[in-house]
Amino acid sequence: MRESAAASPLRRIPGVAVMLALLVGIFGTIAPGFLSPANISNVLLQSTILTMLALPMTLIIMTEGLDLSMGAVVTLTSLAVAIVSLATGSMLLGLAAAIVVGTAFGALNGWLVAIAGIPPFVATLGTLGMAQGLCLIVSDGQSVVGIPRAVRDIYSATLAGLPVPVVVALIAYAAFHVLLYHTRFGTYIFALGGNREALRYAGLSPAKWLIGVYTIGGLMAGIAGLLMTARMNAGHPTAGLGLEFDAIAAVAVGGTSFERGNGWLFGTVLGVIAVGVLRNGLNLLALPSSLQVASVGFLVIVALFLDGLRSRS
Amino acid sequence: MSVAVHETHSPSDNGQEHRDLENQGRGKQTDAAVPLLELRDISKEFPGVKALDSVSFSVWPGEVHMLLGENGAGKSSLMKVLCGAYRADSGEFYYKGEKAVIASAADAQRLGIAVIFQEFSLVPYLDIAQNIFLGREPAGRLPGTIDRRRILRDAKKILDSIGFDIDPSIKVDRLGVAQQQMVEIAKAISQNARILVMDEPTAALSDRETELLFALIARLKADGVAVIYISHRLAEVFAIGDRITVLRDGRRIGEVRPADATPDQLVRMMVGRNIDLSYPRNFAKAPGKLLLEVKGLSAASGISDIDVVVRQGEIVGLCGLIGSGRTELARAIFGADTITAGEVIFDGQRMNAGPDQAARRGIALIPENRKSEGLALLRSAGDNLVVAALRKLFPTGLFEPPRAFATANDLIQRLRIATPSPRQPVGLLSGGNQQKIVIGKWLAAGAKLFIFDEPTRGIDVGAKSEIFALIDRLVADGAAALMISSEQAEICHVCDRAYVMREGRIAGELSRHELTEENIVRLGMHHA
Amino acid sequence: MTDMTKPVVAPPGSLVSGDLMQLLYRLSAALLICIILSLLNDSFLSLGNILNVLRQASLLFFIASGLTLVVLTAGLDLSVGANVALSACLAGTVIQHTGSPLLGILTGLLAGGIVGLLNGVMVTALRIPSFIATYGMLWVLNGLTYWYMAGETIHGFPPGFRQIGSGYLLGLPIPVYLLLIFLAIGTAFAQRTIWGQEIYAVGANPVAARLSGIPVSRRLLLVYCVSGTMAGLASIIFLARLNSAEADIGESLTLPAIAAVLIGGTSLFGGVGTVFGTFIGALILTLVLNGMNLLSVNANWQPFITGVIVIVAVWLDMTTRRHKL
Repeated sequence: MRESAAASPLRRIPGVAVMLALLVGIFGTIAPGFLSPANISNVLLQSTILTMLALPMTLIIMTEGLDLSMGAVVTLTSLAVAIVSLATGSMLLGLAAAIVVGTAFGALNGWLVAIAGIPPFVATLGTLGMAQGLCLIVSDGQSVVGIPRAVRDIYSATLAGLPVPVVVALIAYAAFHVLLYHTRFGTYIFALGGNREALRYAGLSPAKWLIGVYTIGGLMAGIAGLLMTARMNAGHPTAGLGLEFDAIAAVAVGGTSFERGNGWLFGTVLGVIAVGVLRNGLNLLALPSSLQVASVGFLVIVALFLDGLRSRS
Repeated sequence: MSVAVHETHSPSDNGQEHRDLENQGRGKQTDAAVPLLELRDISKEFPGVKALDSVSFSVWPGEVHMLLGENGAGKSSLMKVLCGAYRADSGEFYYKGEKAVIASAADAQRLGIAVIFQEFSLVPYLDIAQNIFLGREPAGRLPGTIDRRRILRDAKKILDSIGFDIDPSIKVDRLGVAQQQMVEIAKAISQNARILVMDEPTAALSDRETELLFALIARLKADGVAVIYISHRLAEVFAIGDRITVLRDGRRIGEVRPADATPDQLVRMMVGRNIDLSYPRNFAKAPGKLLLEVKGLSAASGISDIDVVVRQGEIVGLCGLIGSGRTELARAIFGADTITAGEVIFDGQRMNAGPDQAARRGIALIPENRKSEGLALLRSAGDNLVVAALRKLFPTGLFEPPRAFATANDLIQRLRIATPSPRQPVGLLSGGNQQKIVIGKWLAAGAKLFIFDEPTRGIDVGAKSEIFALIDRLVADGAAALMISSEQAEICHVCDRAYVMREGRIAGELSRHELTEENIVRLGMHHA
Repeated sequence: MTDMTKPVVAPPGSLVSGDLMQLLYRLSAALLICIILSLLNDSFLSLGNILNVLRQASLLFFIASGLTLVVLTAGLDLSVGANVALSACLAGTVIQHTGSPLLGILTGLLAGGIVGLLNGVMVTALRIPSFIATYGMLWVLNGLTYWYMAGETIHGFPPGFRQIGSGYLLGLPIPVYLLLIFLAIGTAFAQRTIWGQEIYAVGANPVAARLSGIPVSRRLLLVYCVSGTMAGLASIIFLARLNSAEADIGESLTLPAIAAVLIGGTSLFGGVGTVFGTFIGALILTLVLNGMNLLSVNANWQPFITGVIVIVAVWLDMTTRRHKL
């Protein structure tokens, strides 16, 4: 039996692409102004921050883990950008601070899961609390405003005709693609979720790679923090809370399984856009954001149920 | 017919005799004077159980060395010691005559040992090439990257060398079991394995695939690769084995050449005779009323068209080789697995729900894995004893600890369970006492049909007799028992009659006077 | 996530059983904290503060008690906070519109119970792992609550109703009496009913429980319903105490509830723990947070500390159960 590997993702395209097509079709018909170029580019632009979180979340979920702290951490890093850039006048120092903070939390998550052996959802639930607390502490509950112009400009600037955030997201996607499909690290991520024992029999230690996965998540949260502060032109103590939920939703909808070490990066991107489209469409229909959240929640449950069915068939 | 069999488990008291036998038994391809790998008195112990007890064993290049034993004999522990996953507590390894250490996967790899487990160590969503070279990927230009072209090329070379024509970029989850096995073998070859350990390799293969595997093994033999082949399928053992070593209870029972042994002998070696057969058995004079009637039963777990009856006062045996479907039948009767055809009628009532219905109506299941399926190890002896009898003891729903305690105590006395108190966590008790607790649990529940799955496995001789005496009393008092056992001698001694299963079906029924070990083996043998 | 071959800890050689010793350790820890706080700050031992601590602990306990049963089965209910919020808002609306506290109470309990039932169905019938199912439910409830309230607040409840949360009886806040009642009910249910025994069995080894004739799915459904209903109960008390209902009252409730359960000695891996332990856990957590307040530590530190406590508690749970091989 000879088959090509290309058959594999093609089997999956129906799932999330169909969902995306349906959403676009539905909202294109009933939501005023949905299909306008301005709106579409807005949706794509807004999706960039979520992309930065959903890409590493894909990897984490592939290792049968979860990072519930991402939303809180990105809020924290966004505050870091705001506070540090305000204090020093330098956007780059702000970015550096964000990356340091994000990576630190990522490494902490990785250590708790890989070394202390704490189940991922509890460990990251705990670090969520910690990050959330730190957000309140460093900001004293207030927004941080008056940050240097350079930060704001990142969101509106363009590079080769594309908005900077989109370029960043594209670079991130390319980097993750290479990471997952062309490096040893990526190979071991598949093994961490698909058959951890295989790694041990090959003489490798799962712990090292597991820590790496969560640390990358923290790093990406750091970069996303910069984009977030740039978009809001301020640092806000609760801005990103709940983003991890959208990230998990995007990954689940995109077809990455929670139990088998199977991941599809492009699916995640489609999932991000699907979530973005869902929210945008509901927004245009004047549905309050609260109900949007409920819809996304419902979408996740459906995706998980279907995933469960697929893995049992 | 003389059979060179060693019934031994004392450390190296017959070195020369041992080696003489080896020289007789090795494969023809070698002119080496010394075995490729030799294990001397390897022991491995875990809290409460001696997995390997002074096992000595040797492998010559180009031989297919069969390793036989039933569940719990020590085969998997031996494999894990060989591949470096476990570290032996004592004993020595000799590689080509020189002392060696196997303390890690790297050590085993260096010695050219590769183990192919039954549950493959393949990563489902990686392709064949990545699986073959897991941990040893060829580096690409940037640090950390993989040279995709080279890994595919190298993989193709290995696959071709074992005659497996397939595109190495296919993801492993798309392959059938036989193909995945080939990938595992390719992986081992790519690590320059000179000793291949295969665990039940034909368990999931069709006849045709098995033939292909045997052809590959012949090729490997010709290259001087040694194969340690673990199986319980006697037909295979005689088909391709050069030497056979039998393990039981962690000990090496003996070693024979296929030409010098019969299946019957091997089974006896695997299963052993160390049971006390002196306890009396009061056979039922006339069978009591019909308690269990199974008609045309089939289940997705692999049994088909089963007809079985059990009457009050009987102990009915259920025999057959491992994998013949005995446990699956037991579970289907108990409602633990879904039935696809046929029916189970207990005490005149049709059974159409899960284990809670079975338990309520009086069926008991004493599972083979008592620790993982029969007991909650964390909880106390008392808790475990009353857990199936809660509704019976406390019909109002209110749980009264004193009464539970008293009931537990009563059972502990009656069954002579050795525990300091009912509060003792069950995980700390010995195997025999744990088994008594599982039985006691159902006594408390007032069960009328007791289904035993290997009731005396892993239990010392003294406790075995006690358990048989207990079962005897149970059926004398009006209950019935269905007993799955691989120990033919016990079945013959204890059962009123027995069914023999083969490949998921009932191969035959033996009445009391037909119940002999020979008949059981004859009916149960896997015909090639 | 139940490990079939969970390591077994040998019981102490004393007269007192292992479980009781664990509770005593925790009780002494609570006592120790009280002593330290009373030394550090004069107003700790004031009547007002003690009553406040007791009342806070009760509120936490109501949520955590139902959660305890879920955790006993090796599951988790992350939706409890959001459940409290939604139930409170629904109950509040009913009270306002009908003027009947009784109807409001029933609404709150019913709403909570239905959410619990839905969680249970996801876990048993749809076979979604509990932490993911309840996590998704959390956001669904969150969204529904915010949408329903549309940024408004409901306030002004009948004084009789408010007594439930703010009233006193014989010098003690009413919630404390409710605490004692539910502590008794919860303990009685877990230790003195056959369903409680079956729940412990399911948590300790779900496979063996099923093969012992326990209807595992039905018991799981039960624990999630109870957890949801207790969240509904808690929502009533919150309503009465705060005299208002807003969409965000549930945000900071889930993590402390989990912390209380874990501190109390209930293991995430199932089969071990008590409702009384959760009460002590709620007490300890409340004391710590109260202490932070008295020592003028910025209130913003509370989520941080709670997060750290959760991690430490799980880590301790795991190390005491780790097999020394």
